[in-house]
Amino acid sequence: MEVGNKMEVAEKTIPCSSVAGGNFEEVCPEKVIRFKPPLYKQRYQFVRDLVDRHEPKKVADLGCGDTKLLKLLKIYPCIQLLVGVDINEEKLHSNGHHLSPYLGEFVKPRDLDLTVTLYHGSVVERDSRLLGFDLITCIELIEHLNSDDLARFPEVVFGYLSPSMIVISTPNAEFNPLFPTVTLRDADHKFEWSRMEFQTWASQVANCYDYCVEFTGVGTAPAGFEHVGYCTQIGVFRKNSGKLAEPFVSQQHDQHVYKAVYTTSYPSLQQEKVLKFVLVGELLIQVERLRLRHQRMLREREKELDPKPGDMDFSQAPHLLLGEVFTEAEKARIDSSPQPFCEGEKFYIPLRRLLAYPKLHRLCVDEERMRSLIADSVCLSSDSSAVVVDLHNSWDYWPEDN
Amino acid sequence: MSGRARTRARGITTGYGARSPGDLTATSATPGDSQASGIASPGDSQASSIAASGDSQASSSRSISQPHEVAVSSDDGGRSFTERGKVRRDLVDLSVSTREKLAHVKDCKAGSSGIPLRLVTNLFSLDLPQDWQLYQYHVTYSPDLASKKLRIALLYSHSKLLDKAKAFDGTILFLSEKLDQKVTELTGETQRGETVKITLTLTSQLPSSSPVSIQFFNVIFRKIFKKLRMYQIGRNFYKPSEPVEIPQYKLSLWPGFAISVSHFESRLLLNADVSYKVLRNETVLEFMTDLCHRTGMSHFTEMCQKQLVGLIVLTRYNNKTYRIDDIDWSVKPTHAFQKRDGSEVTYMDYYKQQYNITLSDLNQPVLVSLLKRKRKDNAEPQMVHLIPELCFLTGLCSQATSDFHLMKAVAEETRLSPVGRQQQLVRLVDDIQRNQVARIELETWGLQFGSQISLTGRVVPSEKILLLDHTCQPASAADWSKDMRACKVLSSQPLNRWLIVCCNRAENLIEALLSCLRRVGGPMGFNVGYPKIIKVDEKAAAFLRAIQLHVNPDVQLVMCILPSNAKNYYDSIKKYLSSDCPVPSQCVLARTLTKQGMMMSVATKIAMQMTCKLGGELWAVEIPLKSLMVVGIDICRDALNKDVVVVGFVASINSRITRWFSRCVLQRTAADTADCLKVCLTGALNKWYKHNHDLPSRIIIYRDGVGDGQLKTVLEYEVPQLLSSVTECGSGVSSSRLSVVVVRKRCLLRFFSETGHIVQNPPIGTVVDSEATRAEWYDFYLVSQTANRGTVSPTYYNVIYDDNGLKPDHMQRLTFKLCHLYYNWQGLISVPAPCQYAHKLTFLVAQSIHKEPSLELAENLFYL
Repeated sequence: MEVGNKMEVAEKTIPCSSVAGGNFEEVCPEKVIRFKPPLYKQRYQFVRDLVDRHEPKKVADLGCGDTKLLKLLKIYPCIQLLVGVDINEEKLHSNGHHLSPYLGEFVKPRDLDLTVTLYHGSVVERDSRLLGFDLITCIELIEHLNSDDLARFPEVVFGYLSPSMIVISTPNAEFNPLFPTVTLRDADHKFEWSRMEFQTWASQVANCYDYCVEFTGVGTAPAGFEHVGYCTQIGVFRKNSGKLAEPFVSQQHDQHVYKAVYTTSYPSLQQEKVLKFVLVGELLIQVERLRLRHQRMLREREKELDPKPGDMDFSQAPHLLLGEVFTEAEKARIDSSPQPFCEGEKFYIPLRRLLAYPKLHRLCVDEERMRSLIADSVCLSSDSSAVVVDLHNSWDYWPEDN
Repeated sequence: MSGRARTRARGITTGYGARSPGDLTATSATPGDSQASGIASPGDSQASSIAASGDSQASSSRSISQPHEVAVSSDDGGRSFTERGKVRRDLVDLSVSTREKLAHVKDCKAGSSGIPLRLVTNLFSLDLPQDWQLYQYHVTYSPDLASKKLRIALLYSHSKLLDKAKAFDGTILFLSEKLDQKVTELTGETQRGETVKITLTLTSQLPSSSPVSIQFFNVIFRKIFKKLRMYQIGRNFYKPSEPVEIPQYKLSLWPGFAISVSHFESRLLLNADVSYKVLRNETVLEFMTDLCHRTGMSHFTEMCQKQLVGLIVLTRYNNKTYRIDDIDWSVKPTHAFQKRDGSEVTYMDYYKQQYNITLSDLNQPVLVSLLKRKRKDNAEPQMVHLIPELCFLTGLCSQATSDFHLMKAVAEETRLSPVGRQQQLVRLVDDIQRNQVARIELETWGLQFGSQISLTGRVVPSEKILLLDHTCQPASAADWSKDMRACKVLSSQPLNRWLIVCCNRAENLIEALLSCLRRVGGPMGFNVGYPKIIKVDEKAAAFLRAIQLHVNPDVQLVMCILPSNAKNYYDSIKKYLSSDCPVPSQCVLARTLTKQGMMMSVATKIAMQMTCKLGGELWAVEIPLKSLMVVGIDICRDALNKDVVVVGFVASINSRITRWFSRCVLQRTAADTADCLKVCLTGALNKWYKHNHDLPSRIIIYRDGVGDGQLKTVLEYEVPQLLSSVTECGSGVSSSRLSVVVVRKRCLLRFFSETGHIVQNPPIGTVVDSEATRAEWYDFYLVSQTANRGTVSPTYYNVIYDDNGLKPDHMQRLTFKLCHLYYNWQGLISVPAPCQYAHKLTFLVAQSIHKEPSLELAENLFYL
């Protein structure tokens, strides 16, 4: 989902101290460019959109810094391995815990496993743990590399790591005259390239390692200055040979040069304990709903037989406001499954019936597995084909009581 | 929609009332009117705060409010030392030094009697070098930097501070070493190449015992606990990765710890106790759907409001918790709100864009939460809209807490034995010591975290129970029901003129009950005559009508045999008979009378309660002080109207301490403090005078229900009321001497006695008055109850005012004696009997009666 990459030129008096002189004033005096949303968010959104489209399983962010991008990416269900690499160990230490699962993820876990790891190391060193990735992002990274490192960078990232997709973003120097400052956007930038410089470099690299590359960017220039291009230029590289990386990986020698600073695993339905917990939870919710529905049905039937004058009409079932709405297919699946039934005060709900409801159906367990997972948490019928509960329990609320 | 506005206003007041009385005065002046109108228009600019429900990204941390004092995700540099500008409430109490004014305990507040006993505690040493000081600097930037993050980054990266232990919240910098100059000027360079001058000015040098240092240590430990992969919820830390599940009730329990660093009697200690967080494994939407199925549409919204408001929810997309203050049925996920930047977006799209979450139900209402104010000047609480589908319920709702089986299942898991508790503590210490980051953090500050503290307590002698013609030394002080079987109680009125109201179905139970009552009453000395039996329909109104019809001033007592524990039966009967037409009443559930084999013990209990309600006395203990009045005070809020404070006041009116004067006052005040104490005490003193023809020479008042941070108010507001009553009644000649003791049932502290290497609960009568106590208070711990399963929790006593000048030993033993005198239980209880009476009284009034009971019943324990 694309958030409008609008840019706003705000009227603002520039504090004297921040006007470092230079040619900005000649261009548009008293105006400071502010992007909306902020440029860094637009860059992240660009990566998020890519993840949305291509659903990579393994993603690494080189030069992850304060791990902000990783934090945004960890919510994607498709990602199962998320890695950040940075040269600043202190930053990784202090930001690691931002990547731990949210409390809510222990209550409603993910479908698939996710491991997040932060490595301390340089992007121009080879570490085999980063082999076989689907997406590697280098957001505002290359301009921080000195010329030696920049020269080694393609060989490591494209040649050695060789992921299916690489995203590289870097400042577009042609945009800089629109800023009040003259030179580089950051004191640590070793260079800032024009579009031509970046595209030449990128095309060469792509060519050399058999990738194709597309150029785009984020941060559009204000009206009248469109010719300078995007504020941030981006190259999206895709491997021509497709996904050949993985079999190739296993033959390589393990090469662990990075230091793992932080690692965390998320609870997910792939873990038996978690699956059991979710399954029993969803099952009990469904059982309770069916039990109450059955009760209501009995009450209504009673009322039809013996209508009391002045009685409130409860026959308009309350499910109109809240609750699940089933698709036709789901409805058909539920209807074709065995019906719940009553024997005396006991209410039986066949396991197959329960499995037909979408929230249980999506857990992808068969009847046999379900039986074994729930056996010690709920009461089963003698032939183990149904869950048994008391039709009435003492805490049922009777509106008529009041 | 004024009804809803009212509910909101109520929600607001309770929210603040429960937290801090100081805040309340500010908000309750305009009882939420302005906020209510703000809410009423959906999607107005107020709603932009929803964005707050969003991320905890650094960029937003500056503006986004967090409901708790310290955000779960606060990062290293970003911690704020004053916890959002507020000093922790329990630390406020510590600044109230009461001991220095009490000459007799200035040097020593320890008792002496009893057998010394070695006890292990859940306190851990936190040693510092002798001359340890915390240096506090104020930091300014020129040009000024608005971004806290930038300020922190710039300072942290400065070479001058690089290898120093430091903590910085953007303005206040703490160092463990002093800089050479008082004012230090540094220069830094931003990423843009700007040169910034940083000025560090030393503002104070703090010893480890200063409140600021204490708060600072707590911040350090919070950081350490986060490093141990625990999550902060409220003030405690939990490990959701090791849940205990109770699937039948859709509950998870997250194990964790409540911790607090503070300066105890002589040194800095960490107090850690095991705690569990209850999580419901369902979203608020699922809960609502369930409720809807249960109640039907006609009661649905009302029930939702009733069940949900006040609960704490956890959101799925961050680590924040919110209190539900209201439900707004007029707002749907498809409605738009204004984001901080002014653009409009629907809730549905917002969650999709921000968190990649697709909402499944577009008809759900939104939950409204008012955030705690974080800036002093920001008078209006910020409001947040939450989507029920994305919120999980924490804690237990009232429906759940009344489910006996559920509570039993929870207790089964959470009630740790001393051994289990000790294991958890040992593991915690181990985790801290083995975690490298934690160790480094402690080391850089010169803190040495280590051993579990042991101390010596004393077990005071057990008490004899005095009956009419018999004195018994109970085999177990926890329960002497067996020992006093067939013993005559001290005094009782024969019961001759009384009624039993029951429904037809229960009629057959009456004869059996009466025969049992006679059988147990005879030996007790309680004569039960034949009642008038009134049969009614199975309806609350029918019971009430029968009572109104048949009760006359001649009737001594009304017994009602209730067909169900539905609240309306009990409430309407108690309300009528406690206040409109004051006659002692006894309600019994029909179900209780059908339990086979239990009849005799049920009848004994009923007979004892009826004896007390008729003004009888059951037993006594030896009280060496003659002419001593003891008083219990408890305070709670009315269940229906949270603006009303219920004050219970129960005073003894004879020197044996077997007869009581009970009074309950409802007051409409914001704060949880009593302003009717003068009237109450004067009333009690008059009663005492009437019975004893003199005033008591000593009065000892036990005040329960004092929350964190309220000590000062009790001392400065309540004690003077009591004193002025004493002075006026005594008319100068021989006024009674007064002591006021604050009683706390809940504290983090635990004691274990050790035999071999097995820890167990300390014996009844264990007193601790050293090391775990506070230097600035005259305080002690007393274990006066047993825990069959689980770990016993000691009761904490703080003598804040004391004219009596009793020796600490006598004060402790007197307190212990008073724990024997609660007539509803043949055994020791955890607090002095007058406190428990006051508690029982306020509970009855707050839950059922909602108005002041008649003074005609004041000399009967009518509320048992």
